[in-house]
Amino acid sequence: MKGCEKSMNALRSKRFIITGLVPAVVIYSLFVFVPVVWSAYYGFFSWSGMGEAKYIGLGNYAEILRDPVFGRALKNNVIFVLASVFGQIPLALVLAVLLHKNNFLQRFLRSAIFLPMVLSTVVIGMIWQYIYHPQIGILNFLLDALKLGDWKLQWLSDGHIAIYSLIPPLIWSYVGLYLIIFMSALQNIPGEIHDAAKIDGVSGVRKLLSISLPMIKNTVQVAVILCISGSLKSFDLVYIMTKGGPAHATELLATYMYNSTFATYRYGFGSAISTSIMLISLLLIGTSQWLTSRRRARE
Amino acid sequence: MSSTTPMFMGKAGPSAQAGTQVWRRTRNAIFWTLLTCYGIVTLYPFLWLVLSAFKTNEDFYVRPFGLPQVWHSENFMKAWDSSRLGTAFGNSLIVALGALVLTLFIAALTSFILARFQFRWKGGVLAFFVVGMLIPIHSTLVPLFILMKQMSLLNTYWALILPYTAFALPTAVFVLTAYLTSVPRDLEEAAFIDGTGLWGLFFRIMLPMSIPALATVTILSFLHSWNDFSFALVFINKTALKTLPLAIANFADGYQTDYGLTLAAMTLSVIPTIALYLVFQEQMMKGMTAGAVKG
Amino acid sequence: MKTKWIAMICSAAMMVLLLSGCGGDNESSGSGGEGEKVSISIWHNWTGQDAKAVAMRKIIEDFRVDHPEIEVIDEGLPTDGLRTRLRTVAAADEMPELFVMFPDAMTKEFVKGNLLQPIDEELNANPEWRDNFIPNALDGFTVDGKVYSVPMNLAPSSFVFYNDALFKQHNVKVPETWEELQTAVQTFKENGVIPIALGNKTNWVAQSTFFSTVADRITGTDWFLKAVEQDGAKFTDPEFIDALKTFQELGELGAFQEGFNSLDETQMMQLYFQGNAAMVINGGWALANLVNNAPPEVLDNTHITIVPAISGGKGAPDTTSGVVGTGLGVSKKLSGSQKEAAMKLFYALAGPDGQKATLESSTLVSYNIELDKSKAHPLFVELYDLIQNVKIVPVYDSKLGSATVEVVNNGLQELLMGGNAEDIAAKIQSAQATAVEN
Repeated sequence: MKGCEKSMNALRSKRFIITGLVPAVVIYSLFVFVPVVWSAYYGFFSWSGMGEAKYIGLGNYAEILRDPVFGRALKNNVIFVLASVFGQIPLALVLAVLLHKNNFLQRFLRSAIFLPMVLSTVVIGMIWQYIYHPQIGILNFLLDALKLGDWKLQWLSDGHIAIYSLIPPLIWSYVGLYLIIFMSALQNIPGEIHDAAKIDGVSGVRKLLSISLPMIKNTVQVAVILCISGSLKSFDLVYIMTKGGPAHATELLATYMYNSTFATYRYGFGSAISTSIMLISLLLIGTSQWLTSRRRARE
Repeated sequence: MSSTTPMFMGKAGPSAQAGTQVWRRTRNAIFWTLLTCYGIVTLYPFLWLVLSAFKTNEDFYVRPFGLPQVWHSENFMKAWDSSRLGTAFGNSLIVALGALVLTLFIAALTSFILARFQFRWKGGVLAFFVVGMLIPIHSTLVPLFILMKQMSLLNTYWALILPYTAFALPTAVFVLTAYLTSVPRDLEEAAFIDGTGLWGLFFRIMLPMSIPALATVTILSFLHSWNDFSFALVFINKTALKTLPLAIANFADGYQTDYGLTLAAMTLSVIPTIALYLVFQEQMMKGMTAGAVKG
Repeated sequence: MKTKWIAMICSAAMMVLLLSGCGGDNESSGSGGEGEKVSISIWHNWTGQDAKAVAMRKIIEDFRVDHPEIEVIDEGLPTDGLRTRLRTVAAADEMPELFVMFPDAMTKEFVKGNLLQPIDEELNANPEWRDNFIPNALDGFTVDGKVYSVPMNLAPSSFVFYNDALFKQHNVKVPETWEELQTAVQTFKENGVIPIALGNKTNWVAQSTFFSTVADRITGTDWFLKAVEQDGAKFTDPEFIDALKTFQELGELGAFQEGFNSLDETQMMQLYFQGNAAMVINGGWALANLVNNAPPEVLDNTHITIVPAISGGKGAPDTTSGVVGTGLGVSKKLSGSQKEAAMKLFYALAGPDGQKATLESSTLVSYNIELDKSKAHPLFVELYDLIQNVKIVPVYDSKLGSATVEVVNNGLQELLMGGNAEDIAAKIQSAQATAVEN
């Protein structure tokens, strides 16, 4: 391709690059980048969201560092990130390897697993609330029926376990997405490799680990980044299921930001939290990239 | 079940292997039964949604998990009539499809350039887009509102299409670029040598080649615009332009919710997304087999 | 060739963009300049099918018929959505002409943001309207001596709705003292009945519907108002800690069902509707829901009383916490004929006729009118009679700063999960001290 590029009419390809990039850059800058910088700017003010704003420099950030609720929210967010990365991705990978055939059962299973993705979070939140319901919930009912009454918990209202109770709905609702991503990547593995594996008698988990996984390493990396960024800004599910409670037990950075901005008239502080969310995401993604590239270097 | 056939295809071995064969068969049967159970469990919430849509509030309150006492199919008609669901449906379709087309075209073009050309600011441009994936949308509501007011975009379809596109771009560019970088360039080089222009390369080679990744982007983008509440709440205040999530939210006032109607409306609103998935699943499988042939 | 084609598409797309921008402009200027017709927009939360929402929408419809010269653009949003939308447009200084506005915190912030105009003039022009509100009804809408709105309903936030059949079945006396309440709780609990249904996921519920009244019974209203101002009283004072502990002890006794912090208000009423709970403590607004959705066997046995007296407390026993209801905010920018039109609509909705329509839709009002008891549901008559003999004391979230309210609400969740009362009190105190400083 290098030679090919050189042979291209340099002027033409330059013009192509510029025309091609302009629409994306313009729309994205105008509707994403400008608002974000703008909101970051509010983060340096003490502002109720209307009327006079008072410049306080890094005051909001200093408060964030001292704020125990922010710390709690950050910890919960990290739990979410770990649960997504180590829950959704391996599960989706295994399912993708198992469900690659186009027969009725597999198609049904794929659709079933994907279905939660198309439901809006409002519906998902509602159904899981009833699954976990302390009196009429189906989970506690099943545990009773299986004579496991001792395992019954107050899933969403016990401050120690509420955040973990949110993980199954979280994983359940997004596995389908990663399943699709991995399936399309696996389909791109040339047929000869599968044939070779069959001849060698490699199958199942071993095939996944030793042959498929390395082939789609890039895709997995993409999925990890999607996963991290997605779970750091997750908001809807928690806002609907627990409102961040009880007593901040399931507070996330995004719910905390929303409350500060729209409930307690602390717009500046909310903006500072939102800027922090971005900085933390960058840090985490940078770390994950660094970890994988270091491992690759060692190989 | 037909799914187990691949496992049975191994020729019936000598009698010495018969034991392992039986064991393998049972293991497979158990395994697929479990997986089917899992599938049914993940389907259940959808079933619950549809069943509850036929209930009265009282029925919903007293037996949230039971079948409806009486099947109130008129819930659907009532829901459709009482909240201008039809208009909202149309609006949602326009906005979601508009954003989808725009996203697909722009993101594919950008990714093509980022994946296939060498130029000085390439890394910077990619990073610039990827940062966009990290943004929690609620913090942008106020600045976006002010911006769109100044551009006189408020209360037009563009007030939703453009932000939806802009917020879908980062993920789309990221997924597509990653995909293209991993795909071999043989086809393009051949076409290029044949004298195909750059736009030709893009439309005739690159777009068909990236169908699997475009499919992922389609799902993500469409679902996001279809289900979005925050932008639709703030940027649109003409009743005639309201989208579905707003119309559905209107069934619930602060202190009481008509569950039958709300869930009926939600059921209706899920239909297009399911249809899209089914259509698209076919497309994706076709795209993938086509890719395999080429590979 | 291809390049040109694409370039044309791109430029066409851009043109559409630009045109649509201009189109939006034309439309908005068009509505203003259409001859004599004045256009006003109103944002509200009357979206449901309940009697109150239907009544309010009907007033707007009738207004349109009576005033063909005024174009009313009304927009209904769910309450949470309305708040978010208002906050956003407030930041951009783009308020609608009229909007449903909450008393106290929201009114104060919006006045501070210079977004509202007072309505003293209109009130003084109609003294029979102004003077017919119940005492203190306008306080929540008054900032620096100017009145910015009037309440369109009344929201006493703390009533005990009880299922008399369950009380009779288990031989329990409807509690009039705190001790009797404790006994009732114990008896019901022993018999497998939920004593009090509580849904505190949306964390204002415990504070607004129950704790505010309990605290007032113990500390008295004067103490609370002083603590709000941080003037001679603090939330770390022993009487407040006593209130927290009293509330916590009731919780420890098992007054509330398991998992109360994960249910919302709707699910809390659901438990009561199912006949699983003997009592539910909720605001006057719950009545419409009860009448519409409770099964007859529960509805017919339901009666209403107030939170029992607490001996040794400094507060009066015949009170309930509450707040005047929502009013309508009037945009600062209104003037001339547009303002005139807006005030006509304001009067139609919040004036004597509007108040009457509200009362007839089974919603209490902060306005002196007689209820036509022959038309109302018996349970609403019971509520109406009860409220005539009960004095309203301030609910906590109406007086405290909005950041403090968050701390109180979260603190109460923590308290009921076994948190330390002194620590929680200290957090509330420090939040309110910060709020007063600013």
